[in-house]
Amino acid sequence: MAERPVAGAVGDGGGLPEDPHPLPPPTATFARDAERHLLDAPRHCPRCGAAISGPGGLVVEWWAATDRVFYCWCRSCDWTGTVVQVDRHIGHEAAE
Amino acid sequence: MLTAEQNAELTRVGPGTPMGELLRRYWYPVAFTRQLEEFPVKRVRLLGENWALYKTPDGSYGVVEEHCPHRRASLAYGVVEAVGLRCGYHGWLFGRDGTCLDQPAELDKTTFKDRVRARAGRAEELGGMVWVYVGPEPAPLLPRYDVYVMDGVRDFGHALLPCNWLQIMENAVDPHHVEWLHGRYFEFLGNRMGFEAPKSFQRRHVKVAFDEFDHGIIKRRLLEGHSEDDDDWAIGHPMVFPYCMRVGGAGIEQMQIRVPVDDTTTWFVLYTVHAPDGAPVMPSQAVIPDYELPWRDEHGNHIVDYVEGQDIMAWVTQGPITDRTVEHLGKSDVGIAMLRKQFKQQLAAVAAGRDPIAVVRDPAANDRIDLPCEKDKFGAGADFATQWMNLGFTRYSPQLQDLLKLHTEAAEARATAAAGG
Repeated sequence: MAERPVAGAVGDGGGLPEDPHPLPPPTATFARDAERHLLDAPRHCPRCGAAISGPGGLVVEWWAATDRVFYCWCRSCDWTGTVVQVDRHIGHEAAE
Repeated sequence: MLTAEQNAELTRVGPGTPMGELLRRYWYPVAFTRQLEEFPVKRVRLLGENWALYKTPDGSYGVVEEHCPHRRASLAYGVVEAVGLRCGYHGWLFGRDGTCLDQPAELDKTTFKDRVRARAGRAEELGGMVWVYVGPEPAPLLPRYDVYVMDGVRDFGHALLPCNWLQIMENAVDPHHVEWLHGRYFEFLGNRMGFEAPKSFQRRHVKVAFDEFDHGIIKRRLLEGHSEDDDDWAIGHPMVFPYCMRVGGAGIEQMQIRVPVDDTTTWFVLYTVHAPDGAPVMPSQAVIPDYELPWRDEHGNHIVDYVEGQDIMAWVTQGPITDRTVEHLGKSDVGIAMLRKQFKQQLAAVAAGRDPIAVVRDPAANDRIDLPCEKDKFGAGADFATQWMNLGFTRYSPQLQDLLKLHTEAAEARATAAAGG
């Protein structure tokens, strides 16, 4: 079982970005989801590159089917959009 | 899902916090007009700070920080005078702008009082409530939203709730909850407890939509069996930034007010005006009835057999400040994401020295601010009014029977007119 990522270890690859408040305890029901959010949420604006994970923007995650969707807003350039994490790229699906 | 840091930024309302600074750009109701008429000074709490609100003999209002700058006794126990409020402890007198006008025990020649000042806000009366502004000058105008200035029979239900205001506001951009909390859950309770839950609340949502506008976010719902021409979609109703929701239907017009008292307390006021088309004569009101909504029973359980009691259950059980690091949003929660973005945008506007949205400074635009709001709610027609009154908070109103009669007579008058009579 993988070890819980360490806060503040972003530069080392795979760690959690800084969050001044503690994550839920590892035994909490949703602790893994909270961790994945910190690990996977976009940290920079897709348009201008400014940091959006802290005071510079907003990243709200929601789920749609198997997709994890990150609704993003950039304070620097006011861009709003969604970023979807993709595991497999699927082309057309024939209509039934 | 948010980080804990973002959750704190969006929910902390005290002085010096980013959200506290944003929220201090708006006027808030803190008392009913009736209360200051019965006794002219009242302690109020807003955005994590206590204030002494008072009404002078000439009918104007003032608000100063609760604790006297002298030795910190409460000015809420002060003496109201023509020019301001005098501390009950040693008699220091403060004018409406907070200027210290008198220190009776000090020598006449002292300039001490010129170096002392109480923090003061602004206070005004509108529509049966007393409103205060405690932010930076120049103060904006007190917005004259349609519900506050329209003719009709007023009715104020209210409750002090132990939760953060933002989770109540997120409910205002969450149309789907109606179908479940006020639909399926209400039906479940009705079946168990022996009453008929309102069918109009049970319709399935086909789709929802949200549009930002100058005063917040308009939400729309397309219900099963309805078309995009129906009011719920074509008109919708708005979340009014940053602490209200305009709602109504079938001659009931309402502003749901959620005053951020502090981080974990919200004053919930259902400011309601009954103005059904065809009403023969609107009764005059010498005093507008206000009444506290019961939301817990003698065992401490939530009272959930009425619409707003169900909402309160959801808001309060989310926790004092709901932990958004462990939430799981779906696509149906897109309105909530949009609301959070709107708050973040306005936090940025204030940080940049600009006015946020819904701050009104133009008197010409403030005679009456009409907000979009559907008339035919859930396609229920006139029945919506009686359903909402009997199975909503109005059941606790001391004027319930008069209001039912008003709507019944109005419906009969409309029917007579439609029949050519």
